[in-house]
Amino acid sequence: MKTPAANLGSLTHAWLALVLLTLLSLGTGQWFHGAVWLPLLVAAILWIKGTVVARGFIEAQFAHPFIARVLAGFIAFTPVALVLTAFFGSQFARWATL
Amino acid sequence: MTATVLPALEPAPALANSRRIPGNKGIWVGICCEFVEFLVLFVVYFVARAHFPESFEAGAERLSRVAGTVITLLMVTSSFFIACSVATMRAGQRRRSIGWLVAGLLVALGYPIAKYLEITWNLAHRINGESGIFFTVYYYLTFNHLVHAVWGILGILWVLARHLAGGYTTEDYSGLESLASYWHATDIIWLVIFPFFYVLN
Repeated sequence: MKTPAANLGSLTHAWLALVLLTLLSLGTGQWFHGAVWLPLLVAAILWIKGTVVARGFIEAQFAHPFIARVLAGFIAFTPVALVLTAFFGSQFARWATL
Repeated sequence: MTATVLPALEPAPALANSRRIPGNKGIWVGICCEFVEFLVLFVVYFVARAHFPESFEAGAERLSRVAGTVITLLMVTSSFFIACSVATMRAGQRRRSIGWLVAGLLVALGYPIAKYLEITWNLAHRINGESGIFFTVYYYLTFNHLVHAVWGILGILWVLARHLAGGYTTEDYSGLESLASYWHATDIIWLVIFPFFYVLN
């Protein structure tokens, strides 16, 4: 059975990446206010952050495939939905109207 | 009568068996349920956002970005400390593991405090659940996450008590890792919520 190593260095790198990406996403919201492609950038940062937690903290790469797939699916859902809503929002609204 | 000897079938190399479950199966049932619950809530968010894009673009401007950022940093930092607790326990450093868990608890406790201050700030700026669709969605999603985080904090307290009592060893620390997995999953959910209300405008 593969077991992850007790490596605080890689955990520290993951944490630093999360802090930097959080500040970066805040900055993108300010610098690119109103830009059409802002949701694309936000979605990319969101996906990277989720993946960093899944791989760095939960160690999804060593986990049972079902758990790894659940994590990957949940983390991918929102970035995809963000981009679709940003570019096809009106069609989605019509489709989702009761 | 001659017996036919069939060659023994070699078991297929099963990748699934070579991978581990972080913590125990029970917590992953709970985490899957938590993910499904929030997926439904996220769908509601996207339906509302698609119907009222102007309200969502304007709403983020009125919320406190400082509060959202502080909560995000508290979540990722407490997640980091609890991951360190698991890693040090795995390495047989029980006292360090307890120290990291206490640090994770203290940082995690900052979340409800920051949320209380944020709500106070909101109410002072006349932002409540009836201030528009954006704020209705904001309140139900963030309060729901807070409830899950409080469960996590109670879980940290329970695991800390067991850890102090010598309940975990280098060979068996699944309780500690289960708590860590739940907390990391709750962290991922917050990382999704954060840009919904504090970044996108």
